[in-house]
Amino acid sequence: MNILLILIAVIVVVILLWLVIAYNGLVRLRNEASQGESSIDIQLKRRADLIPNLVEAVKGYATHESEAFENVSNARAQALGAKSLSEKAAADGAMQASVGKLFAIAEAYPELRAVESFKQLQTELSDTEDKVAASRRYYNSVVQQFNTKQQTVPTSFIAGAFGFSPRAFYRIEDDSERQPVKVDLS
Amino acid sequence: MTLQQQIRSARMRTLVVLVLFVVLMAVLVAAIYVAFGAGYGLIMGMVAVGYGIFGYIASGSIVAAASGAHKINKEDAPELFRTVENAAIAAGLSKTPDVYIIDDPAPNAFAAGRTPDKAYIAATTGILQLLDKRELEGVMAHEMAHVRNRDVRLMTLAAVLVGVISMVADMLLWSMVFSGNRNSNDNNPLGAILAIVAIVLAPIGAALLQMSLSRKREYLADATAAELTGDPEGLARALYKLGVDQRPLTKVNRATAHMWIESPLRDNKGMRSSLAGMFDTHPPLQERIDRLQQMGGFTLPPIPKGAADA
Repeated sequence: MNILLILIAVIVVVILLWLVIAYNGLVRLRNEASQGESSIDIQLKRRADLIPNLVEAVKGYATHESEAFENVSNARAQALGAKSLSEKAAADGAMQASVGKLFAIAEAYPELRAVESFKQLQTELSDTEDKVAASRRYYNSVVQQFNTKQQTVPTSFIAGAFGFSPRAFYRIEDDSERQPVKVDLS
Repeated sequence: MTLQQQIRSARMRTLVVLVLFVVLMAVLVAAIYVAFGAGYGLIMGMVAVGYGIFGYIASGSIVAAASGAHKINKEDAPELFRTVENAAIAAGLSKTPDVYIIDDPAPNAFAAGRTPDKAYIAATTGILQLLDKRELEGVMAHEMAHVRNRDVRLMTLAAVLVGVISMVADMLLWSMVFSGNRNSNDNNPLGAILAIVAIVLAPIGAALLQMSLSRKREYLADATAAELTGDPEGLARALYKLGVDQRPLTKVNRATAHMWIESPLRDNKGMRSSLAGMFDTHPPLQERIDRLQQMGGFTLPPIPKGAADA
């Protein structure tokens, strides 16, 4: 009789303990995902801040490329105004593509590429690119853990009971990736 | 195995080793109990716990000084600094660890500091010259993985445990010699013999577990690094270059060997049996490259024979 009571008490304690640990784990991952998203924000902002300098630098040499300048300014405005994760991702992709275009244009002007401040800008931007990518990887790996926990038994019960919901992955849709690949069958 | 599978398997193996550590401690405690009785065991237990706590606290940040590392700012080595920053972002650390440089032509790198906040990463001038950007990213991600996985703390703990077990075993052996074994001879000779065997073997077992744990954490750090950079091939290429390079580090000792990206000790060349491998802090570089190849789906040429097999 006594032993049975003790056994029940132990089981209850273990279940409670597990509940606490599992719940805390979910909260931790949710916070880490938010932290990951703000880390992406910081890097996107940093890249957006570098863009006016880039435009100024290239403008002095490539005067006929108004469309490229417009694109990059639009992408920048889009990034600064983005609220939701998918808007940010879209702006991220647009910014990446249009900045790439500007650098491609700059390739044609050796004098520009020789300017020290331009070289520095180029390093800065490519570093920011790496940092955006790094924060993206962190966010997505946390989201993957978070979502998997919510979808697997037994954590899924807690996730359901306490109203956790899966988070969206951060996928950038680069124009070059979206276009269908043309296959020549002739 | 894929990346995630390797991470899970390395975590599982770590757990197994830790359980074995606990079992070993339990065996030692049992041996003390059989050979000396409860009272003596209690005193010895208290001494051991005290020694362990002292050892853990004392082993703070002695490594940087011991290996001749000096701290640098972003301006000193912008490329290295950026690489570390990026790895820290990918690992989700709130603070970028400090960066140290060691003036040594032998290519190597390590991470230290028991918590991510106090962590720092050191690289030799040799590794900065040897590796290109992509490879350096892999190596820094490996070090960042040690930081994020709390490996420094784990290995410090393991080292302290090994120290405690060796100390207790020594004390027991000496007290058996001097007491003429009279407690146990009267009632339980077989128990006494088993106790002696346990006491003699415990330190060796503990050291083996420590080395095994170190190797498991290396595999885990490799897999985590591949996750951080999304590029297992970069790290594999770096390991390949490290495998071809023969230069040993000038300032290094066995106590800190487990912290480096590859084993800094080159004293075991020529005698490569599986038995010798059990005492290594690092798995063979070729094996680490093979595992990275499995998760990345690429192939590098094997490390030439005759190159240092660390």
